[in-house]
Amino acid sequence: MFRYILRRIVLTVPTFVALMFITFVAIRLVPGDPVEVRVGEHGISPERLAMFRRQLGLDQPVWKQFLDYVWRLLHGDFGTSLSTSNPVLREFLTLFPATLELSFAAMLIAVIIGVPAGAIAAVKRGSAYDHILMAASVTGFSMPIFWWGLLLIMLFSERWGLTPVSGRIDLIKYYFEPVTGFMLIDAALSDQKGALLDALHHLALPAFVLGTLPLAVIARMTRSSMLEVLNEDYIRAARAKGLSPFRVVGLHALRNAMIPVVTVIGLSVGALLSGAVLTETIFSWPGVGKWLIESIFRRDYPALQGGVMLISSVVILVSLAVDILYSVINPRIRHAR
Amino acid sequence: MPGKDGADLASTTALPEPLVFAQPPDFAAFWSIFRENRGAVFGLIVLSLVVLCAIFASFIAPYSPVEQFRDAIRAPPVWAGGAWKFVFGTDGLGRDILSRLIYGARISLFIGLSVMGLSSLIGVALGLSAAYFGGGVDIAISRLTDVIWALPSLVLAILIIAIIGPSLFNTIIAITIVYMPSFVRLMRASAMAELSKDYVTAARAVGVGPLRLMLSTVLPNCLAPYIVQAAIGVSSAILEAAGLGFLGLGAQPPTPEWGAMLADAREFIRSDPWIVTLPGLAIVVTVIAINLTGDGLRDALDPKMRRS
Repeated sequence: MFRYILRRIVLTVPTFVALMFITFVAIRLVPGDPVEVRVGEHGISPERLAMFRRQLGLDQPVWKQFLDYVWRLLHGDFGTSLSTSNPVLREFLTLFPATLELSFAAMLIAVIIGVPAGAIAAVKRGSAYDHILMAASVTGFSMPIFWWGLLLIMLFSERWGLTPVSGRIDLIKYYFEPVTGFMLIDAALSDQKGALLDALHHLALPAFVLGTLPLAVIARMTRSSMLEVLNEDYIRAARAKGLSPFRVVGLHALRNAMIPVVTVIGLSVGALLSGAVLTETIFSWPGVGKWLIESIFRRDYPALQGGVMLISSVVILVSLAVDILYSVINPRIRHAR
Repeated sequence: MPGKDGADLASTTALPEPLVFAQPPDFAAFWSIFRENRGAVFGLIVLSLVVLCAIFASFIAPYSPVEQFRDAIRAPPVWAGGAWKFVFGTDGLGRDILSRLIYGARISLFIGLSVMGLSSLIGVALGLSAAYFGGGVDIAISRLTDVIWALPSLVLAILIIAIIGPSLFNTIIAITIVYMPSFVRLMRASAMAELSKDYVTAARAVGVGPLRLMLSTVLPNCLAPYIVQAAIGVSSAILEAAGLGFLGLGAQPPTPEWGAMLADAREFIRSDPWIVTLPGLAIVVTVIAINLTGDGLRDALDPKMRRS
């Protein structure tokens, strides 16, 4: 198993190199001279232009520039944002907890509803409930997430006034210094009355919107995985032993059916972050997705480059962690090769 | 190698391996399985209607999608007390929403089919090359697809759009690059499985050249799962394109793209909800129809993946 994990870790190195290469090339393909983008004016003297080029290292051969870029990345230097002059890494780290909080809450909703819903559908296979759930699941992953968000805002916020339209907390009523960046934790620590409840209130709708796609996938996956497991011999053995149906399904079957579901959860981190870009835009949620989109419209290419690099790194590392976890849970996979 | 081939020949004499997709499955058999899946038939009917709308948009649509009726800005639809002149109402610039939705079908299907066509072609070319040549070629292609695969699709698409600029055509390019890896991987895996089978060895033995071997011997046997993947790819591409359009990074105004229509409509969410509701409904209905049809295709073409 140790060899498998090592092999898997070594395999991510070329992926990271390729990622660095893609972001390096991408920024050079952007229309316009990087010096002019930065200086932003015409009629600059040739001497000053040459000075800027030297400063940015653009007078070096391209392969050297790339090595330079890699070197800086390895030292945690992800460039400087053009619009705020802050290091990109710092901007990312202040915004990332908001995205993380939203994504966690979304996944939590998806798992808590999706797993039991799918398991019940498998047990009651062919029933009306099963058909309705599967229809809902197809609808769920055919849903354009931004429209789903707008629709729910229209109903819950505009028509019924149940949830706030945007943001993470009511900034007029509650103010406290961010400690962790996670609004729920900060609100709980702030000992201002009602702050935690208000933060939860703001989180509920965006998290549900972002969780809809994984919810649909998890419900469907749990159902088909359960159906397979329910036919296995050990389930028949457990039934023959006279265990209660609840124990058979809930304990023996569900635990084994969860193995592929865990993988799906791990693999959907990328999709979750894609969805977060749209969800954050709709709900004005101050996370990295919204920041990335705004960087494009501000033509802040270093922020875009660093942001893509950082978000992708997170996804690569999470899928690495999921693979390792999977090999620990399921011995079959690590002996396969 | 001769020893291995000999062993394979010996084993085939005992039990000939059934060639499931040696020929394209005949249509009657395909249809009889497809028909069993009621959802798929329903999806196909809806999808056909959308396709007809797209093809005959200029005959069906009551108005031009960009014509602005300045005296009827944000006219309500019929069920909200509007006139029959604008059945689905008009948008913020007085354009007929029904006409824009009908023309939008053309654009969304065009994006979906172009992405599918392009990424299928790239998938076949790269997947077959990786399987046939192996070694360095295989490693290079696999690494490339791995890294694209590892990135969140929308983030990568956004990066590409930031470089090449937002437009309908560039949307297609960006989404093709994002979705290509799944096609390459699928083709590579099934071509590798096929290459080890006896009929390929037989074809090689009678002297079939590499190009013909890959394209007319191996390729047809890899197509069934590929077609299923392509069908599902169309719906993902439509969703992704609508997402980019919504962010203002896809088709540009006044193109009646469904996602872009929603972006324009956001400010009317309080006053005129139908401007927000209808384009989204068009996207959902189309994507559900394609997904249901894809499920049916999978049942009929790919018995191994048949849903339990």
